[in-house]
Amino acid sequence: MTKQVQDQVLIRVEGLSKSFGKLHVLKQIDQHVNLGEVVSIIGPSGSGKSTFLRCLNLLEIPEEGHIWFDGVDITGRDGANARRRLFSKAGGIDIDKHRQKIGMVFQHFNVFPNLTVLENITLAPVLEKKEPKAQAVARAEELLERVGLLDKRDEYPRKLSGGQKQRLAIVRALAMEPEVILFDEPTSALDPEMVKDVLTVIRDLAESGMTTVIVTHEMGFAREVSDRVLFMEDGRIAEEGTPEEIFGSPKNPRTAEFLSKVL
Amino acid sequence: MFLENMIKIWQRYDYVFINGLFGTLWLALITVVVGTILGTLVALMRLSHSRILYGITGVYIEVLRGTPILLQLYFFWLLLPKIVPVTMSDTACIIVALIVNSSAYVAEVIRAGIQAVDKGQTEAAKSLGMSDRNMMQHIILPQAVKNILPALGNEFIVMVKETSLASVFFVGELMTAYKTVQSTTFLALPSLTIAGLIYLIVTFVLTKLLRLLERRLQASD
Repeated sequence: MTKQVQDQVLIRVEGLSKSFGKLHVLKQIDQHVNLGEVVSIIGPSGSGKSTFLRCLNLLEIPEEGHIWFDGVDITGRDGANARRRLFSKAGGIDIDKHRQKIGMVFQHFNVFPNLTVLENITLAPVLEKKEPKAQAVARAEELLERVGLLDKRDEYPRKLSGGQKQRLAIVRALAMEPEVILFDEPTSALDPEMVKDVLTVIRDLAESGMTTVIVTHEMGFAREVSDRVLFMEDGRIAEEGTPEEIFGSPKNPRTAEFLSKVL
Repeated sequence: MFLENMIKIWQRYDYVFINGLFGTLWLALITVVVGTILGTLVALMRLSHSRILYGITGVYIEVLRGTPILLQLYFFWLLLPKIVPVTMSDTACIIVALIVNSSAYVAEVIRAGIQAVDKGQTEAAKSLGMSDRNMMQHIILPQAVKNILPALGNEFIVMVKETSLASVFFVGELMTAYKTVQSTTFLALPSLTIAGLIYLIVTFVLTKLLRLLERRLQASD
């Protein structure tokens, strides 16, 4: 792996906190993701990994903190709007426009069952980016070819296996030409024999220089593709470092304990 | 004797009952169709981010579901001629009342149908940066239709029966037909039995058709 991680911050998170009722899920998280960087988030279930990831495109609305994406505070709490309640268009921020640049892939795929494979991919670019239909179709076909699904272009998702659905979901996100892709446990709902295909697609993507944040239980994969690994526990980032540091010689005893259980 | 009377009445007045049946079906159809359009608007307002719209539609639905339909018929029958500048027939008033009543039930059906769509669909659409409107139109509503259609069919069957209340105002549906025949022949029970049998046959057939539709929709999953 010889790609260059540029020293330019794409996402910066400051003082991020989130609760569900009385449950404090995220506690004052400060983090950043550089352009071209591949960041893996590992940790026990319930540690807040997915919630943290889902805050990055505001699928979860944090109670406190800021998220800068491309230098814009998408929480709408920048300066004068600091006290505004967070809403989809609060503080003059059109979150839909930012979400178009932040791709996301879900554990349960969430492909659109009422649309064909091709329509799944072209819908958002045509509707939201006003891309010409022919151009969207051409790129969709090119992407499908890359993940080995071109022969399924006119099928409905119910005809696809789990692994194929997830590859479709990845392509759907890529079709928006995002600046970063968030993966929320992309292989956790897959049958074991499907995992490899999906991981291969993600690896190719990461190696092509796509900025990637991935919540995963695939430790081998995290170790192999990541530039940086975050270990989360109890709503905090308990340790971070290169894969060698985290998996080779963890400093935090909690990290060591977690790894001894899963490896 | 009873059966003989029924046969006699039917031979003589079959057209009255048939006309009444068509009146009933027409009334139920227009009620459900227009009620669905109105109900969809109410449901979308109820699901919008606006607290005001949420509150208003909440009251609308509660009032219409929490009061007897007969009372609502009287209410619109008394109210509409007073507030509408053009002359409205009794039938028109009753149709409006039935539509408004149906819209409240349909709104809840549609809201439930929309909310039954997997939350992951909303999240996926949002993560792609789709606007609320596009998401509703292209992703959520097409999937919600499958949940909603059978319930709308059910509402139609309910309305076939509920429209009988409109006979209080002689609107010309099946129960009005019964009243007409009864008042000329003075044979109440046989006439009523004929009307009852017609209702039964119609709702039975409609229920079977609905099951068929439901199975079709499930098969396409």
